[in-house]
Amino acid sequence: MVDTGTPHRDPERTLETTGFRPRPYVDIVTGWTRRYRMQALGIVLGVIAWEIAGRAGISPALPPFSAVAAAGIEVWSGERFLQAMRSTAVAIGIAFPPSVIIGVILGLLMGLLRPAEWILRPYINLALSMPLVAIIPIILLIFGLSQETIIVVIVLYVLPVVMVNTYSGVRSTSSDLLEMAASVNASRLLTIRRIVIPSARGLTLAGLRIGVGRAITGGIVAEQIVGVMGIGGLVQRLGGAFAVEELYAVIIFIGAVGVISLAAVNRIEEHYELPGA
Amino acid sequence: MIEVKSVSKVFRRNGVTLEALRDVTFEVGTGQFTSIIGPSGCGKTTLLKMMAGLIAPTSGAIEIEGEKVTGSGPDRALVFQHFVLLPWADVLTNAAFGLEARGVAKSKREQIARAQLEQVGLGGFEAHYPHELSGGMQQRVGIARALAVDPDTLLMDEPFGSLDAITRQVMQRDLLKLWQETAHKTTVFVTHSMDEAALLSDYVVIMDTRPGRVAQIIEVPFPRPRSETLTESSEYREFTARLSHQLEKMQRVDMERETTQEAEGSSDG
Repeated sequence: MVDTGTPHRDPERTLETTGFRPRPYVDIVTGWTRRYRMQALGIVLGVIAWEIAGRAGISPALPPFSAVAAAGIEVWSGERFLQAMRSTAVAIGIAFPPSVIIGVILGLLMGLLRPAEWILRPYINLALSMPLVAIIPIILLIFGLSQETIIVVIVLYVLPVVMVNTYSGVRSTSSDLLEMAASVNASRLLTIRRIVIPSARGLTLAGLRIGVGRAITGGIVAEQIVGVMGIGGLVQRLGGAFAVEELYAVIIFIGAVGVISLAAVNRIEEHYELPGA
Repeated sequence: MIEVKSVSKVFRRNGVTLEALRDVTFEVGTGQFTSIIGPSGCGKTTLLKMMAGLIAPTSGAIEIEGEKVTGSGPDRALVFQHFVLLPWADVLTNAAFGLEARGVAKSKREQIARAQLEQVGLGGFEAHYPHELSGGMQQRVGIARALAVDPDTLLMDEPFGSLDAITRQVMQRDLLKLWQETAHKTTVFVTHSMDEAALLSDYVVIMDTRPGRVAQIIEVPFPRPRSETLTESSEYREFTARLSHQLEKMQRVDMERETTQEAEGSSDG
């Protein structure tokens, strides 16, 4: 295959000025950019290294990739896995949307009203700095071995990051724009609609992206501690039974879901990007 | 008429006081174009924002047509040095923003904004976004936004200060034409540039620094309507040279004062 190379750093230095022809960024044959080819190559190399390490028998906790893949095909189609996945998905599906809506509303309030910030700030700092795992047993005591426990934990994981990002977005509003609004006597409502919300949009969407990751993390961590339901519960049970290959298969699934959801949120972010922002 | 009556302004920040303006008094006649010129730090922008009602004076008052300024009002419109457009809104929405703030219905305000954009030479750019326009064109949107609300008083804060020399010249000439062709609006224009002040204004208020105060008020002797060829006349060149000379002298005095102050400061410490 012909090496297509990277584009020139300086787009001005093209054929006319230097006599050099910048190399195409996209592979003509496959349509892939060099970046994606390198990423695919990295994954293949990682899998090969894993296979070698697994076959070398370093540890019984490190089976070769081929064994994991074989176990995976069985696990991923099994009823136990599907049920666990459904349970986790439902918990995230119930917990995430209200966390985002409430988080955005509280974040806006914090950004717009000083007293709201003063009141909520300590809780946010606490939630962001404290390992939330520590309070899961308390939530478990309140809600018992039920899905409600998982849902509450996800909300606690997601809410603070959405709030703090929305708040930062509101506070990042340009003081020049606010002054302009004041100079034309714009009402508070119009100022918020036309200036504050568009200003806060970028950071709020970034908060959403972090929130997706935290929803998955929070859900699975809670399930692991509760131990009886969802993907986290399955991980716990497989680990306890020393079903190493199956355990890896489930972990790979969790990783894949995480990566795919991040990519999806990035897409949404790009789609809602504002002109000039 | 805008009356600036012994206006003083002291800023206090972290225990440090800064006297921005001391006992500033002058008048701007209705229908006149007045420039405020002076070295940076003379408080000319502060003064303009006081007229806009965005900053309150520490003492003294500004009265417009006999009424004390206590906040922003529909009789005034401000044009900013850095344009201050909504980056996520198209040119039409930006130009109509002042009207929107007044609760003018969408179709009506867009009709007015369209006409105003036409007048500043931006017809056909209604659907563009600010980042797609050059600095000069962005400021035309800023001017259209200010004129759209049909203010009695136009307040301009170094509107061409961040443009390149050529664009600046074009903008000055277009503003001269626009101002003379439309009903003469009372205008206060803050600038660094004597050429600009001499071409556009009826009066030039020269301010000095530390504290900001009025040094001199000069009547610009050129009759109206002026044409852009005025800038080629020897009278114009003499006049601007005189202005420049005066400003330069002030700036030098100020620099010397600063060096002595610094020397005193270092001997103290």
